[in-house]
Amino acid sequence: MRKVFFREAIARALREEMECDASVIVLGQDIGRYGGAYKEFAGLFDRFGPARVRDTPVAESSMVGLGVGAAAAGLRPLVAITYMDFLMLGLDALVNYAAKARYKTGGQLRVPMVVKTTAGARGQGVAHSQCIEAWAMSVPGLAVVAPSTPADAYGLLKTSLRHDGPVLFVDHKRLFPVPGNVPLEETSVPFGKANVLRSGNDATVVTHGYMCRVALEAAELLAASGASCEVVDLRSLAPLDVATVAASAARTGVLVTVEEGQSVCGVGTEVAFRVRDEVPALRVARVAAAPAPVSSNPVLEKACLPDALRVAETVRRLLS
Amino acid sequence: MDLPSLLRAMIRIRAFEEALMRRPDHGFQLLSSGQEAVSVGVCAALAPGDQLLASGRSIAPALARGLDPRLVMAELLGKEAGPCRGRGGRGHLAAPSAGFFGAHAVVGGNLSIAAGVALAMQMRNPGAIVACMFGDGACGSGALHETLNIAALWKLPLLLVCDNNGYSISTRAGEALAAASPSALAAPFGIPAVTVDGMDVLAISEAAARFVARVRAGEGPAFLECVSARFATHSTATRETRAAEELAADRARCPIRRLADCMAADGSLTADERKEMDTEATAAAEDALRFADAARYPDPAELLRDVG
Repeated sequence: MRKVFFREAIARALREEMECDASVIVLGQDIGRYGGAYKEFAGLFDRFGPARVRDTPVAESSMVGLGVGAAAAGLRPLVAITYMDFLMLGLDALVNYAAKARYKTGGQLRVPMVVKTTAGARGQGVAHSQCIEAWAMSVPGLAVVAPSTPADAYGLLKTSLRHDGPVLFVDHKRLFPVPGNVPLEETSVPFGKANVLRSGNDATVVTHGYMCRVALEAAELLAASGASCEVVDLRSLAPLDVATVAASAARTGVLVTVEEGQSVCGVGTEVAFRVRDEVPALRVARVAAAPAPVSSNPVLEKACLPDALRVAETVRRLLS
Repeated sequence: MDLPSLLRAMIRIRAFEEALMRRPDHGFQLLSSGQEAVSVGVCAALAPGDQLLASGRSIAPALARGLDPRLVMAELLGKEAGPCRGRGGRGHLAAPSAGFFGAHAVVGGNLSIAAGVALAMQMRNPGAIVACMFGDGACGSGALHETLNIAALWKLPLLLVCDNNGYSISTRAGEALAAASPSALAAPFGIPAVTVDGMDVLAISEAAARFVARVRAGEGPAFLECVSARFATHSTATRETRAAEELAADRARCPIRRLADCMAADGSLTADERKEMDTEATAAAEDALRFADAARYPDPAELLRDVG
């Protein structure tokens, strides 16, 4: 094991895959010499050069399309969309082409492409803060993953770069400077496998991405008042590991979903519905962003987003 | 140029669509009738290892690229024997191994995809090129402008072919595009462009051959605009909005008649030879229909096959 920052884990996964597979290329804004908005591409340009690490114009729509076409024609591109809000510009190629290419051509084409994008709020305002991964979960043919630790960022990106279909890889602004242990040897994390971050008996909190840290903080608060909380990190939103969440929820009888996006048609709504199919007597609550845009105003941003106190209060309400 | 081959290819496409239209259950189709010369002229300039992408108006591009009419008909009628196993249909017909990377029915949606295919060619298969056909209706979309920019910046081996039939369903090209013509859009990006008569297969094939040679030599993208006319409505589900006089004038420009008359005038096509071409094309179309009729529909139990 070696302690590295989340951003370094991303660069390592890419470096390893680019070393062993010449078809892996990176496309995105400021990912060349600059090394990416959060330095998560640091070192790649010097190592692999401008043909494989390509700075692009600010044109997300066609850059996703370019990646999709290149993937369908035999390359393995990673297209970096700096903020998830801008993914909306590239949804046509991602949803209408990439996610359907294999199906619509009767298996003739595959689109082994990763769209890596950064979700979440950190003071940048209404069009630079959103978490819209739930939208993507409903697209047949599209895999969606959202790591919360450096080890999972490394392992899930490795799996994403070897996957034969399109993958939406969602990281988070607040995670890049987070340190964590990553195995020294080459490993990967499979899709569709949730991870129990903390064991507990009284309630199950299920979440993903940066909100895992908020959920763990809430579990600490609850432990101080005598409630034992299990925290499950989904890691992979499509495919979804319902079994792991359901097994935990069946034991605790209480499920709280936590996400930074909206609760309407959200990740938590989907998880809760599917878990309740398997655990009928479940007590369920959702914690998510308030139904408002996420302002750059620090007071309003804080008011909009879930925090450990809200999560802990919600768990306590269900337990009482 | 092999004129008889060009003529025969156009006649086959026309006969194919006429046979398809005689079927009451043809489904929703976008016909190429009137615009055969664009596909045939462009494909005459492509090599086997190149790739062609098209809009949802895909019948002429697919047949001109050399796809088996039987398989194309099967795909259009939703049969498992089609190259896409009946899943793609008219809007998404594809046979990449035959150099037809495929149609995509989102207007302008195939442009950046084509640039990506061209990037893959540039990096892994130098010497091969990509041609992408789209209508005048795609020229107001940001996708075209973004694609022109990146293709020029990266000198992608991409031939952009605007099949300008003058209308986006009912909206005239001049009402949807501020530029004087689609080909004028290429100039700001330093991309060579030319506008040719889209009903003149010789003019198209010659212009395409010149551009293909340039693109293949690594000199970057080129833009070929072909001013054509569609003889049918936008699709079989849309209403005709053009006046009878305008349609009659368009039909008088028929690319098949134009080439046939030209060849007859210089003695390179006899009446018997022309008749043989018509007979052969009709027989091939009927044969394609028989093949498609005999083929089976996909099994609904395989609905989830190839998702992902």
